[in-house]
Amino acid sequence: MSRLVAELPAPTDERPVRVGRRRRGRQERLAYLILLPALGTVFVIVTIPFIVVLIQSVTADDGSFLGLRNFTRALANPLFYEALRATGVYALIVLPSEIVLGLGFALLVHRTVRRAGLRATLYVLAVLPLVVPPVAIGVVARLIYAPGYGVLNIILERLGLIHQEIQWLSNPTLAMLSVASVDVWQWTPFVYLVLFAGLQTVPRESVEAAQVDGAGWWTQFRYIELFYLRPLFLLILFFRLADVLRVFDHVYILTGGGPGTTTQLLSLYLYRTEFKFFDTGQAAALAVVVLVSISILYSLITRVLPLERA
Amino acid sequence: MQRITRREFVKRTAVTGAAFTSIPAILAACGTGTSTSNKPSKLTVAAVQGAEDGPLKKVGPMYTAKTGITIEIVEFPYDTLFSKLVTTFQANGSSYDLCMMDDPWMPKFGTMGALQPLDSNFGFTRDSDIPSIVYDVGTWPPPSGPVPPTEQSKAKHLYGITIVGNVEMFMYRKDLATAAPTSWDDVKANAARFNKANFYGYVIRGKATNPASSDSLPILWSFGGDVFDTNWKVKLDSTESIDAITFLTKTLKQYAEPSADNIDAADRDRLIAIGQAFQSTTWPAEVTGVVEAQGSSQVIGKMAYIPIPQGPSGKGIGMMGNWLLGIPKGSHNGSAAADFIKWMLQADNMKTYVQNGGIPTRTSLLNDATLGQTNPYFPALAKSLAAPPNWRPRTDQWNAVETIYGTAVNQAIAGLKTPKDAMMSAAAQIRTTMQGAGYPS
Repeated sequence: MSRLVAELPAPTDERPVRVGRRRRGRQERLAYLILLPALGTVFVIVTIPFIVVLIQSVTADDGSFLGLRNFTRALANPLFYEALRATGVYALIVLPSEIVLGLGFALLVHRTVRRAGLRATLYVLAVLPLVVPPVAIGVVARLIYAPGYGVLNIILERLGLIHQEIQWLSNPTLAMLSVASVDVWQWTPFVYLVLFAGLQTVPRESVEAAQVDGAGWWTQFRYIELFYLRPLFLLILFFRLADVLRVFDHVYILTGGGPGTTTQLLSLYLYRTEFKFFDTGQAAALAVVVLVSISILYSLITRVLPLERA
Repeated sequence: MQRITRREFVKRTAVTGAAFTSIPAILAACGTGTSTSNKPSKLTVAAVQGAEDGPLKKVGPMYTAKTGITIEIVEFPYDTLFSKLVTTFQANGSSYDLCMMDDPWMPKFGTMGALQPLDSNFGFTRDSDIPSIVYDVGTWPPPSGPVPPTEQSKAKHLYGITIVGNVEMFMYRKDLATAAPTSWDDVKANAARFNKANFYGYVIRGKATNPASSDSLPILWSFGGDVFDTNWKVKLDSTESIDAITFLTKTLKQYAEPSADNIDAADRDRLIAIGQAFQSTTWPAEVTGVVEAQGSSQVIGKMAYIPIPQGPSGKGIGMMGNWLLGIPKGSHNGSAAADFIKWMLQADNMKTYVQNGGIPTRTSLLNDATLGQTNPYFPALAKSLAAPPNWRPRTDQWNAVETIYGTAVNQAIAGLKTPKDAMMSAAAQIRTTMQGAGYPS
């Protein structure tokens, strides 16, 4: 111990230490200063509205404190559970469909398409649905499924597959499938793009070694590629789950939540509670409930699908 | 020359920059101040996008030519306009000098105290050429019918003037039928008679919420049913109400288009305009916009327009859907805005407005034979306004009530519930909503 101390240089002058600290302090201040606009923006557009929603969820329109009464009302409303059920059914249709289809396309392109030009073309085609405004997609979908002039029924009739119009938007099951199909069309390319990018990170040597050992396409996928794609599945689930809770435009245009309340998803129900019923307290309570639920769901997903690759 | 530090340089630059960027804002503020005290250079109107504000856009420049005041029209889709106005009024914002309002919004805005009274503030009086109902619908609290409990002690004032005289009417193919239907029994008989493959005897506008509600209320009233009685007690589960909804969703539905529960006004107009349907209810804007539109409709001159046929109650009751102009409380240009409304109401200017596609409220113009040639529904509209039509219940809870009722009617049309179950369930939900808002339902 004493030897170690003896080997340390004796502090002769404190000046360099102070200068270092001062410089570090200045650098920290500069870092905070640079971060300030971003943090300020987040504070204004995220934190303040969140605090307002929290306050609204426990107060009446006149500002008087209500405790948890808004929450009790929101959770006692049978329409909330209908909306929750509709959202659950919607998620159960769209999420697996998009992941399976997106993965299928990604694997197909990754293994069969070698020409860079064709890959670039497929990339552009996949980006297109993502950049089209949801309202426009809703309008186009209505032209496809609408009673009377829907393109889908006309094509099926001309092909001789049906003799009577299918009521895509009037039958509860078909209406749900119709609105879900729009989501699948728009967001499968997103899954494809993410997973395709993930497949590019799989080391070539591992795949080639497996192939030499006689691994088939399934073994190759199951034991090598899937390993690299796991964190991306988590990413996809995070994004898509949040999107499913925000779905509004195309459902509003296609069915308006009907028939009855069959396709009234949570976002549509929240919109109606706030902008039709003008029940701000209940809408705020619902928003808080949804936020807490999604946070719990996210942490569960994180535990099931660990982010680390190893 | 004195040298300055880098920090001082940055500070001075920031101050100078801020001063320069503030100049436009300061000038704008000065400009607003000037226009408050004198004649403003422009009036900003929050308007609904569509056939309703089209004629207003056309006459705006005429007012500018006469007065030098620009009429700037800011358009919003129907739902957006409502929520935009509510949030503007809540903040007492001065963004708009005038606002277009659908008449069912009046209770909400009246209860909020969001508008400037036109009678006491700007001297508006009733004109005998304009039906009383047109003024009544813009008055708050309502001069007839039940008044919300919180509003009963308020003095009545005129807050809105109708600029689109909308009343729901009935249309049928006069080239096929020999006589106009006078009752809903006649409507049913005609529907059965003319219904055939790819030609529907009746068109139901049954999409959930507002469309289903608007389409069914005239039938509900004509059958003696209603949403509320005169004491705000819910009446949707009465025998008359259930009979009316059963008539629409069972009897007429037999002859209606498939997927009626997903049909809105545009789909209905398409079916009528391409000659695939015999009859339906209609609004004036649908007539001018599609059914009688040159170049797109195949039934021009083949349709007749009449007031809503009579039901078992002995009455045929149309529904008002007037669009009014009001002056938000937050506007700094109230007087100039009131002058614009007065200018719009003058007979000559209203005639010009009609010639540009507007729907008048003056009886003399509705009965004008020349104008009637290009607007074949004018006589029916005049009769409907004189009848008078019903307005939707005057409560600030109407949006909620309409959503519940319109969803229930849609469920009955889709066959998800029987008409009785749908009405019982809607009545229970509306009771809960109204009780929560302090009504004695």
